[in-house]
Amino acid sequence: MLNYLEAIKRAETGPMSMSDDFAIQLIAKKVTELQRKYDIRYDPDVRVNTDDDLADRVWQAGRELILHTGLFSLNSRRRIMFDEQEIDETLAAVRPEFTAGEGKDAAHVYRRDVEDTRPPVIFGGPFNADVHEDMFVKLNEAFASEPLVDVLLLPGYLKNLDGIDIRPNSGLSTRAAMLYGRWSREAIDRAGRPGMPIVGHAVMALNEIACTNEEWGLRKNDLRAYAIISELQVDDVTLTRLAYYHAIGSPVYISSTPLIGGFGGGPDGTAIIGVAAHVASVMLGSHVMHLGPQHIQLKQQTNAMSLWMGSVIKQAVARNSKMINTTSVTTSGRPGSLQYIYEFSALALSVVTSGSNLTGPRPAEPLGWNNVSPLMCRLFAEVGRAAAKLDREEADRIVEALHEKYKDTIQLKDAPKGLSFEAMYDVNTLQPNEGHRALYMQGKTELRELGIPLE
Amino acid sequence: MSKHDDIIERMQESIIEAEEEDAEAAAEAALAAGMDPLDAVEKGFAEPIRNLGEAFNRMEIFLPQLVLSAAAMKAGLSVLEPALKARADYEASRKGTVAIGTVEGDIHDIGKTVVIAMLRSAGYEVHDLGADVPMPNFLQVAQQVKADVIAMSALLSTTMLRQRDLIELMEIKGVRGMYYVIVGGAPVNESWAREIGADAFALDAFETVAVLNARERLESSNA
Repeated sequence: MLNYLEAIKRAETGPMSMSDDFAIQLIAKKVTELQRKYDIRYDPDVRVNTDDDLADRVWQAGRELILHTGLFSLNSRRRIMFDEQEIDETLAAVRPEFTAGEGKDAAHVYRRDVEDTRPPVIFGGPFNADVHEDMFVKLNEAFASEPLVDVLLLPGYLKNLDGIDIRPNSGLSTRAAMLYGRWSREAIDRAGRPGMPIVGHAVMALNEIACTNEEWGLRKNDLRAYAIISELQVDDVTLTRLAYYHAIGSPVYISSTPLIGGFGGGPDGTAIIGVAAHVASVMLGSHVMHLGPQHIQLKQQTNAMSLWMGSVIKQAVARNSKMINTTSVTTSGRPGSLQYIYEFSALALSVVTSGSNLTGPRPAEPLGWNNVSPLMCRLFAEVGRAAAKLDREEADRIVEALHEKYKDTIQLKDAPKGLSFEAMYDVNTLQPNEGHRALYMQGKTELRELGIPLE
Repeated sequence: MSKHDDIIERMQESIIEAEEEDAEAAAEAALAAGMDPLDAVEKGFAEPIRNLGEAFNRMEIFLPQLVLSAAAMKAGLSVLEPALKARADYEASRKGTVAIGTVEGDIHDIGKTVVIAMLRSAGYEVHDLGADVPMPNFLQVAQQVKADVIAMSALLSTTMLRQRDLIELMEIKGVRGMYYVIVGGAPVNESWAREIGADAFALDAFETVAVLNARERLESSNA
């Protein structure tokens, strides 16, 4: 079994490669070879995969890919390589559940099977939207007040303080990271859930370590997030934070966003990279693996290819490992629009029936500050719980109907512009306003009519 | 089929198959056959790679093929370059030189890779500074390669601020007017470009080419 410290050492001692060679010669060529070997092909008529054998072949191919490529360290230009025995032993030792947070507000975070009837764990919050310092506590309090949100997710980018833009790694970014920790804790306190776990990522590069403090900041039982860079790459900042989070004992939440249309080719080849990224995350000691099934041109995750790929990767992982995994939901339509509801429901149905938990939702291209909605997160969670009552065939039919509703306005420039938190909520009472409540009810009615068994 | 047609076909195939050595060999054959190098470039290299760019936009081909085909074109062009430069109308016929990089603090570069492939396929000379590029490096390289355009990519809303800072640095150094500055990246939009004083914003690789081509046409008509 691999220790994360060994992985960090290998970033300094592994075989050297140039970035372009890694992407083209190692990843792209091997993916093409594996696609042929395992007969992995995208079916444009399917939204939610029901072919178990395909999911298992994608798993085998992804495992073989990471054995071939390793992870590329952008700074040392060396590859962190793993061998078969290490991968097998590490996968065997993966923890399928753990408790995050503390006391009555702690969350049980667990893995799910394909068509698991248990509800998904909901990671909900601003999800790294640009959050203004004036609204940071209120917005996060509103998310933390949503009872179906299990873990407060990524409380938001603090882009500036006192009107000054924040440069990562600057002194100001350390101050911002400390306030991020302090204000996130204040928000869950005000919501009456002081022990609620937080997935933290202050986006202050190395300085975000400064938001850690048991008394006023992120605690050791909060999850700490970082990303595997597309495709299959890490950098010094990532590895430094990894070493720190492991040292203080925080659960680690690693995201990856394999790009459809990028070095993996179509959704079929990119699914192989997605599985490889999940295995690599485990090798780095991750507790939760987050997938963002991203499209290189559409720049979002609810298009037909992402729906299919998300379902295939999640089934591959759920059927062949004990990993706790989740899927992010990034839409073209923005909060305050029906399209937002259609889109997040489509991907939620696709991946929840495929064995995933849920992260999100958020708009791919927020327009301005605070462009997220706690009420929409509630509906997202309700859809997730309803999805756990469906099988994949039922989900496929509903997802197709939802996709029909938004596919013609999926380009970011054509998608509804949406509203800010302040325009959807009374910011004094932190309750959604009449218009936003009406949108929620209308969306819920339409989803029920499509066959989603919402409570 | 004439000998010239045969060579053009070989050049086109080398791009479609993304074979650098074949592109070089076909370019050498074009020179040996006394073909007009500009005509050879347009028909043999530019036309197929434009088609590949359009196929990429339709998701019929994917990034690896586009990148490798652009590399093959670059290899073939290096063979034809001396003959191209020897032409009296070379300066007038050439497209601009672009210095491109992802700004400091940001290590994302797939989007930039697509832009570079598309710019090369459109005939631009592109110098890739890589990712996490310190501000002074943009200016040093732009000066060294006599760039017309500086292109900056940023994927994070925290790192897009470096685009603003580079423009401010260019103004302080008195070189702002020497370069056309174009910005892009996930959090970047038209109003940000206006706010920081960039010349243009591009949503994606295709728009980057369209914006720079429009600029080329304007420069030509003003010349």
